[in-house]
Amino acid sequence: MEEPRPELKADPDERRDAPDFDELVPLEELVTGDRTRDDFFDAVLGLDSPTTASDVADLAGHGVDAAREYLEWFERLGVVAQVTDSPATYERNQEYLNWRRVQRLRDQYTEDELIDLLEKTAERDEAFAEEFGAEFPDAVTITAHAAHIDRSIEEVWRDVSAWKTVRRRISLLERALQTDSNDTAGQRTTA
Amino acid sequence: MSGRRDDIPSSGDGNGAPIDLDRLDAIVERLATDERFTDVEVQPEYAPDRLMCRYDLGFYPQSVQSARFTIAWFENGDFSLHYHEEHEDGTFDHRWDRHLSTHNSRDHIHPSPSASTPGDDASHPEEWRDVMSMVLSEIEERQQAFWTE
Repeated sequence: MEEPRPELKADPDERRDAPDFDELVPLEELVTGDRTRDDFFDAVLGLDSPTTASDVADLAGHGVDAAREYLEWFERLGVVAQVTDSPATYERNQEYLNWRRVQRLRDQYTEDELIDLLEKTAERDEAFAEEFGAEFPDAVTITAHAAHIDRSIEEVWRDVSAWKTVRRRISLLERALQTDSNDTAGQRTTA
Repeated sequence: MSGRRDDIPSSGDGNGAPIDLDRLDAIVERLATDERFTDVEVQPEYAPDRLMCRYDLGFYPQSVQSARFTIAWFENGDFSLHYHEEHEDGTFDHRWDRHLSTHNSRDHIHPSPSASTPGDDASHPEEWRDVMSMVLSEIEERQQAFWTE
């Protein structure tokens, strides 16, 4: 990244009160969190396809025995799902993570607030549907659409991603508004 | 292109994915209490679904009026990380991106002053925490450079 232009730099007076960057928490520590648990949690958040304990150990930077223990624990919590037996493979359990988010929405907002959020989000959904002339974001092929309307792939990517996020939010809000208790996403709840 | 991400079936990969709210939560948990930032919040009004980290102005001389770092991370591993400074007479922007693109490789940056398209091809680290620490280090290098002659 570029250095600041000279006229933006601190003048000699200001330099006397320069901040001490060496006193800050080192960035590698800051982003990795404090604990082994964080290392494994970060590793499993990235598992989009069935992955073995030994690959999870590599990703987390810890041993395979620890990986097995954490995977079993995360599976009991519902954060990962075991996909195959032999070898045992695991992937991120998005259904559970969504379920947990639904519970959090219920804790955070009143029913009226949830309805209000849902209405606003539904309006964004309709605006995207109109923009793309499609019912669902999955019906849009980014490259084809970009060529068709002569916009950059990057702009279309940004909008399709935003639309997918809107759809995800609508489904979470709708579930949070369901009053029956059937919303378990097929998961065991955490104890 | 290389790495695990490219082995994923392409359903979501080339065609966008929702924001990874769980990953943003993990990032908030770590950055929120750090002295570098005065504010770390998800879904600010101006950029729904993004995580916005506002830098403490104590790290800048008076010429800088505000500085923020905005994070968009998607469930398929795509990301767009944006550093933005406001000055009395202008702005500075730098973006680190990983996503489908015809103007660049999947990993690329859009450097200031214009942060224009196309940007420069780049090769970001595979693992998300490595990406974060690389990007935050680059920002910190710039902050430090404000204080040298």
